[in-house]
Amino acid sequence: MMLRGIYAIVVLDMKRFWLDRARLVAGLAQPLLYLFVLGAGIGSSMGGSMGGGAYKPFIFPGVLGLSQLFTATFAAITIVFDRQIGFFKAVLVSPVPRPAIALGKIAAGALQAYLQGLVVLPFAWLAGVPFSFVSTVALLGAMALASVTFSALGVAVAARFTSTTVFPIVSNAVLLPMFFLSGALYPLKSPTTPHWMQVAAHLDPVAYAVDLMRGALLGPNYLFFSPWLSLPVLAGMITLLTWLAVRVFNRGEDDSSLGATNFNWRR
Amino acid sequence: MFAPAVAVAGLVKRYGEVEALRGIDLTVQPGERFALLGPNGAGKTTLFSILATLRTPTAGTARVLGRDVVTERDAVRRAMGIVFQEPAIEQRLSGRDNLLLMGLLYGLPSAAARKRADEILGSLGLAEAAGRPAKNLSGGQRRKLELARALVTDPQILFLDEATLGLDVDARRGFWTHVRTLAAAGRTVFFTTHYMEEAEVADRIALIDAGRIVALDTPRALKARLGGGVIRLQTDDDALARTWLAERGWAAEAGGTELMLVHADPAAVLPELLRHLPVKVRRAEVHEPSLDDVFLKLTGRGFASEGAAAPAGGGRGGPNGRGRP
Repeated sequence: MMLRGIYAIVVLDMKRFWLDRARLVAGLAQPLLYLFVLGAGIGSSMGGSMGGGAYKPFIFPGVLGLSQLFTATFAAITIVFDRQIGFFKAVLVSPVPRPAIALGKIAAGALQAYLQGLVVLPFAWLAGVPFSFVSTVALLGAMALASVTFSALGVAVAARFTSTTVFPIVSNAVLLPMFFLSGALYPLKSPTTPHWMQVAAHLDPVAYAVDLMRGALLGPNYLFFSPWLSLPVLAGMITLLTWLAVRVFNRGEDDSSLGATNFNWRR
Repeated sequence: MFAPAVAVAGLVKRYGEVEALRGIDLTVQPGERFALLGPNGAGKTTLFSILATLRTPTAGTARVLGRDVVTERDAVRRAMGIVFQEPAIEQRLSGRDNLLLMGLLYGLPSAAARKRADEILGSLGLAEAAGRPAKNLSGGQRRKLELARALVTDPQILFLDEATLGLDVDARRGFWTHVRTLAAAGRTVFFTTHYMEEAEVADRIALIDAGRIVALDTPRALKARLGGGVIRLQTDDDALARTWLAERGWAAEAGGTELMLVHADPAAVLPELLRHLPVKVRRAEVHEPSLDDVFLKLTGRGFASEGAAAPAGGGRGGPNGRGRP
């Protein structure tokens, strides 16, 4: 029943996502803005100081991560709407176990983030990113890992809210700091990067995901973390965040609201 | 021996200080149409939520089709269908997609879920509307879709919580035609309603007030309980009339804009009453007891007076549809 429940939730979310498929195109605006406006502006002022490479290819994996991060979070936020629309009441009286709802939301969010990433991917060519077969395959794998991480993060956070009015706050207080600290837009290993930012990056799941994608696309010279560190760290973070998300849903057994009450954060 | 469809014993539910249910006992037999009536805040929704496995009782037990709603929750969920007061379909998706998803949630493989969805849509006369987004359907069709959703697993017991609230008379009738067909096929139907003519459909009715069952009987027996006929009066000063009546040993209930009296032979005493009442009587009516009268007598509140669809002041024969024999 667990697997079937996850499948049902994924089908539900993907059907709804398909109704909004225009979002895949609209979702390009933000990453392309970073890539071609910010990228062009900052890149030209920096000259060739980016570890030898051009700036746009350097930030491309970061921008890819940004687009995946926001898509996954947006998908996760639908939990808040789900509590308000009645359909989830029908889910709650079905024999689907509560954890399946959390796992289904994470899977559906990861799928959407991955699709959005695939839509952004062709712009790598315009940004002048050198492609090879091997780097593409490695990148597709790293993107999958990033999608699941961001989706688990989104669901773990969104599951604690019953109102969407707090979302912009969460976005500015959680998502943007994680994005800026991730090294998406600057090299973390540059000797001029403040030490505290390098330390903070070690706590930031986005940093590991972006670093892995950058290494896959541009080569091991660009890595800040060793893959032998980032792979287990990402796996661990996915496990931890999934567990946190499942916990919220499990608690919803007696209050028929999937665990969250009002605006309160839950332990 | 079949297990009762619903068996509730000593059920108590507290929310902090508030005691929503103060010891409910009731048994519903398989195949019965059972109505749970009561004013808002009486505990209907709480009892409903407990039976639907959405809340857990503080004390006491509740069993649905022989399964405990707490310890055998999944078995109960699998065996029942439920229509909520508020919509429980994804409005942006089509009726067919909604039912397909329900089938998947109950563990049917995709092909079987699709087949089942089409069967139910056909049997409820929704086949043509099934491809449209649910939000584009009429109110009546949407409610039927809710019923269809509840029927995906072919449940032996149906819970309907104010399932027709806000629908017009025709749409309500259409909805209940289907419910009666389902009941005739041997399903138990456990429902709440604010509409009198729907309550009359029940084999038995439980009246719940302030967390307790105050009466449980067939509609006929409930009405016979009043012992006689009913006089309804509209006066210029109900409070004064009530005091005057009370001084003469008449217990008059105030229901909205009128007074209700019970008497063994109302037609015989009405002329006398009208002659002596110290207030102007604008309207007087004598009739056989209705469920509304029983309700008013037992709870001090009119049956439909708190329903969302009831007109302010509870005009007679209004859209609240109090059935008269």
